[in-house]
Amino acid sequence: MLEARGLRKSFGALEATRDVSLALPEGARHAVVGPNGSGKTTLFNLLTGELRPDEGKVLLNGRDITDLPPNARARAGLTRSFQKNNLFLDLTARENLAIALAIGERAGTVFWRRFERMPGLLARAEALGERLRLADALDAPVRTLPYGTQRQLEVGLALAIEPKVLLLDEPTAGMSAEETRAMTALIAELPREIAVLVIEHDMEVVFEIAERVTVLDYGSILAEGTPQEVRSTEAVRRRYLGERAP
Amino acid sequence: MIGGEEFRRHCIAAAMLAAALLALALSGYAGRDRLAEIAILAIFAMSLDVLVGFTGLVSLGHALFFGLGAYALAAFTTMLKLAPSLAIPLAVFAAGLAAFLVGILAIRVKGVFFIMITLAFGQMGWAYFQRSRGFGGIGGISGVGQLDLDAIGLSLANPADMALIAIVSAALVYLALARVTASPFGRMLVAIHQNESRARALGLPVQRYKLAAFTLAGAAAGFAGVLAAERTSFVSPDLLVWTVSGEVLIMVIVGGLGTLVGPALGAAIWVLLRDNLSGLTPYWMLAMGLFFVAAVLFADEGLYGLASRIPWTRRRRPGNA
Repeated sequence: MLEARGLRKSFGALEATRDVSLALPEGARHAVVGPNGSGKTTLFNLLTGELRPDEGKVLLNGRDITDLPPNARARAGLTRSFQKNNLFLDLTARENLAIALAIGERAGTVFWRRFERMPGLLARAEALGERLRLADALDAPVRTLPYGTQRQLEVGLALAIEPKVLLLDEPTAGMSAEETRAMTALIAELPREIAVLVIEHDMEVVFEIAERVTVLDYGSILAEGTPQEVRSTEAVRRRYLGERAP
Repeated sequence: MIGGEEFRRHCIAAAMLAAALLALALSGYAGRDRLAEIAILAIFAMSLDVLVGFTGLVSLGHALFFGLGAYALAAFTTMLKLAPSLAIPLAVFAAGLAAFLVGILAIRVKGVFFIMITLAFGQMGWAYFQRSRGFGGIGGISGVGQLDLDAIGLSLANPADMALIAIVSAALVYLALARVTASPFGRMLVAIHQNESRARALGLPVQRYKLAAFTLAGAAAGFAGVLAAERTSFVSPDLLVWTVSGEVLIMVIVGGLGTLVGPALGAAIWVLLRDNLSGLTPYWMLAMGLFFVAAVLFADEGLYGLASRIPWTRRRRPGNA
């Protein structure tokens, strides 16, 4: 589905991404881990088109999308959630979801019918809200919702456009243990047609949802494999899991 | 949140329409001319609200399209001798086309740079019409062809009829813009205003929507300019001075961003204050400035926020009901 080949990106003297390659087949559950500043979010920005790589290519379904802007990549089926909540703050959760659904269905060119009367749009927003366990929060302005609920919605907006590849940037960041469990369950329930790439700091979450793990360090790949393989790699244990070599 | 407000807005709009028609019946010659001016400025302000209030694009050059609509009508009727019934839609189209072309460049930048680039385009238009001999220079063009309304027993040379046509036009423009801004297209503009980068990440071609909003706002401003030229049969570079862009922006902000009726109310207050204060004191601009500072500071959502505190317009208040 999604493939990155030899991505490089520098900011001045800082090499944020060094020769990173990655392949996500259909239905992949892949995690990117690494210490702060290891280039995880830069990698996401390269994949979604917020940044252009200095070198390398991004392919979606075999098609070169390296030169496409984020909105064109989203239309091709690739979208993301953000590390910091990135929502339509003054609108209600229901309106947030309905807008995302309308964008996914390319309904924005309709200029004469009322938004609320678009066939089935609000019902689908409500159904999606329930799936996200947001049923009680749908009618409040998003700005007034608790952080954890906003976080659910953050992932929900990305899901609304029915992506083929979903990139989740620290979906559980700042969440309580209970909220983290709910989010983990939500990610685990995602349809298998969607390939998921997730940046995550919580190793329990990683081991629960990921089938493959890539470890980044100083912008380059330190290790890649199944969670068990990565966990047993000595370099990773030393560098990231904070264990000292015996 | 937005849906519940809509009923209240229609109530305020209906009250304003009733007040305008009542004033038309009661007022004399000068009053009728004022009413026409208010209705025209209301259309102009509502057109800018689409851009500033809904899409979040603050333009300081909107008078360009107001002036272009007026000049296009003047040129079509006096130089090309077109019938006003044909020249009016063509002039609106010309203003929309100009907005489309300016928009292609202007929407590439954001925030303060967008303000500056729209101001620059506005000044270019003003400077051009001031110097251009073909368009009469600072003297402008007089004798703009007026639409023949004999068939319905009206004449635009008569201020009462002109005011009636302008008021009805403002009501129709309000209904059309209220409809468009409540549509999925309008909701995409609000989404861009709220969070442009997220809208883009979800797949919205943000630039195309901004350009569409800019074009729509320009065409509607052009229509206001057409009515302004019909009202006085005269156009001059004064229509495009940057202060006109600034004044209409104040009407929108003071009236209440993204509410359509608020900016229309702002236009009415602007004209009434100007006419009443300027007779009292040469420092009337100072008094007007103080009034607007107070309106922005103490009235949540501008004049619209004040008007919506009138109990009968309140059906439900989402959020704190």
